[in-house]
Amino acid sequence: MAVTLRPNRSLTPAVGTGLMALLAAGLAAPLIGLAGTKVAWGMLPFLIAAFAALYAALRRNQQDGRLSEELKLWSDLITVVRREPRGQILSWHANPFWVRVRLDPDARLENYLTLQGNGREIELGAFLSPWERESLYRDLMDALAGMRTARN
Amino acid sequence: MADAAHPHAGHHDEPGFFTRWFMSTNHKDIGILYIVVSATLGIVAVAFSVYMRLELMHPGVQYLNIDGEPNGHLWNVLITGHGILMMFFVVIPALFGGFGNYFMPLMIGAPDMAFPRLNNLSFWLYVAGATMAVLSILAPGGDGLSGTGVGWVLYAPLSTTEGGMSMDFAIFAVHLSGASSILGAINMITTFMNMRAPGMTLHKVPLFAWSIMVTAFMILLALPVLAGAITMLLTDRNFGTTFFDPSGGGDPILYQHILWFFGHPEVYIIIVPGFGIVSHVISTFSRKPIFGYLPMVYAMIAIAALGFVVWAHHMYTVGMSITQQSYFMLATMVIAVPTGVKIFSWIATMWGGSIEFKTPMLWALGFLFLFTVGGVTGIVLSQAAIDRSYHDTYYVVAHFHYVMSLGAVFCIFAGVYYWIGKVTGRQYPEWAGKLHFWMMFIGANLTFFPQHFLGRQGMPRRYLDYPEQFTLWNTVSSYGAFLSAASFVFFFWIVFYTVRYGQRVTEPAYWGPQPDPTLEWTLPNPPPAHTFETLPTQDMWDHSRSH
Repeated sequence: MAVTLRPNRSLTPAVGTGLMALLAAGLAAPLIGLAGTKVAWGMLPFLIAAFAALYAALRRNQQDGRLSEELKLWSDLITVVRREPRGQILSWHANPFWVRVRLDPDARLENYLTLQGNGREIELGAFLSPWERESLYRDLMDALAGMRTARN
Repeated sequence: MADAAHPHAGHHDEPGFFTRWFMSTNHKDIGILYIVVSATLGIVAVAFSVYMRLELMHPGVQYLNIDGEPNGHLWNVLITGHGILMMFFVVIPALFGGFGNYFMPLMIGAPDMAFPRLNNLSFWLYVAGATMAVLSILAPGGDGLSGTGVGWVLYAPLSTTEGGMSMDFAIFAVHLSGASSILGAINMITTFMNMRAPGMTLHKVPLFAWSIMVTAFMILLALPVLAGAITMLLTDRNFGTTFFDPSGGGDPILYQHILWFFGHPEVYIIIVPGFGIVSHVISTFSRKPIFGYLPMVYAMIAIAALGFVVWAHHMYTVGMSITQQSYFMLATMVIAVPTGVKIFSWIATMWGGSIEFKTPMLWALGFLFLFTVGGVTGIVLSQAAIDRSYHDTYYVVAHFHYVMSLGAVFCIFAGVYYWIGKVTGRQYPEWAGKLHFWMMFIGANLTFFPQHFLGRQGMPRRYLDYPEQFTLWNTVSSYGAFLSAASFVFFFWIVFYTVRYGQRVTEPAYWGPQPDPTLEWTLPNPPPAHTFETLPTQDMWDHSRSH
């Protein structure tokens, strides 16, 4: 079993590009009428700043969403590698035979999903929706049960 | 790897009063702050207009005298203060900053704004700007007196030559307000585009959230232009540049073009969030889904786009060519098409519906009437030939108050009565809301409808006195203003009573079964500080799937 989990981001690259293009065109429009006047130069820094500000905001927000958790399961090893938005990589591994999977429906984060093994308990998919965590829990339990049955 | 923690429900710490209201990064608290501050500034701006109507109630100068002599500067300061406060610090912050902050993230299922601390910065820049605007009234200004009297449009050369520092204060106030609006708009756009609940595509977003997105985009296009223009005013005033001074090769008419390139979209920046509120209110109290959802969305986008290409209809009399005037006439009239789509879609939503005339619905219907009256006089004024007669008369004052101030203010009140139970957890007394509506509706019409007659009789704007022939309708208009002001005072009593003693509402969707309820109606009243930390599922908001 191998699965990569990512947080929800509703902006697609195509829509983002279209939005920025629309903004650029809209901000450039008043410059057409002002071309050849010194007022155009007075206006330009403000128009560029507005464009740059939205670009930076969307980029930052998109980067914050570049969080991922990659779960891989073999017969003798389970690993979770988490990539933080700023590039930091955190990892955990354990023997799947002894791993305990826990789904807590009453936690503040509904259906809080954790994996316990190798002396640690880690959270999984905390950025997902509750029903996504529940679905992941079921898939993981099935995979672990199948693997344990095969080993026995 | 994030180690597991097992926090259980109710784990959040309660912030203290100062932390909650002065250091807030929570979109709901910031929304409430915007509404409270804009309402407070609204009191100042309304007080100015009541004082002006008191002066205009009878011919002759009753109150605005210095050493027994009429003083036009005092009058001009009142007009400028009223305009600047209402345009930049009351209506937009209430609708866009207040309702937008509170309800847009809730409607799209986002836990907060994309940049909560930027949201805090936007709010405090707004407060700083508002403070500057009020201070500009008190600072040394033109004619050796306090305050600036050049009008909210800050036209050059009046604004570049007026003495004192009041004008500079006013320019900085608008700068700060602009910076606040731009940062707020960036935050709203990022939140709207990137943080919608899974499955909520752009054609499924609630209309109010769409209205905030359209408004934010307009702000991002229009406000930098204004910021550039007033910065050039500032350098013309203080650093010897001549951007708008003909003696140095500049052009004061160019300032008017730039100002109105911002100023006309500003009208839609004010009213478009109101369109969103009214759509939800009419749908809720007609017990029918909104008629023509997609045309409603694209009509808002079309109105926003057209709003940028009609600016010079504000300045037909500056000496444009006939061809230019013809273009601006036609372009202006085209706006009636998407506006008509919206008006008829609201009517079609009500058609055959089980209409309930609760207070928010009354305000929404009041808006429909007032906005249509103002829209029709807008078509009249769009005719360059007719505008020759009406330009700078009270007809124009009546027109823009009908569309902008009354239209927008009625939307604000519709929103307040619609959501006050959600925000405070308590409901207003229905009789009081209805009384408030009728006082305001009668008062506002009594104030502004006679101003059409005054304009047709030829009474010019911006004067503190008039010949006796104009007395009748001025007196009627003043009585209307007093009634409206009384209704405003009554409104504050209603809010106080509701927050303090109003009946508690425990049902999340307290308006009863709704045809297409948005996500805020799934939350308790008031919603907890942190909402949608776990993403809402599609069946919570997409009712076409659950039917």
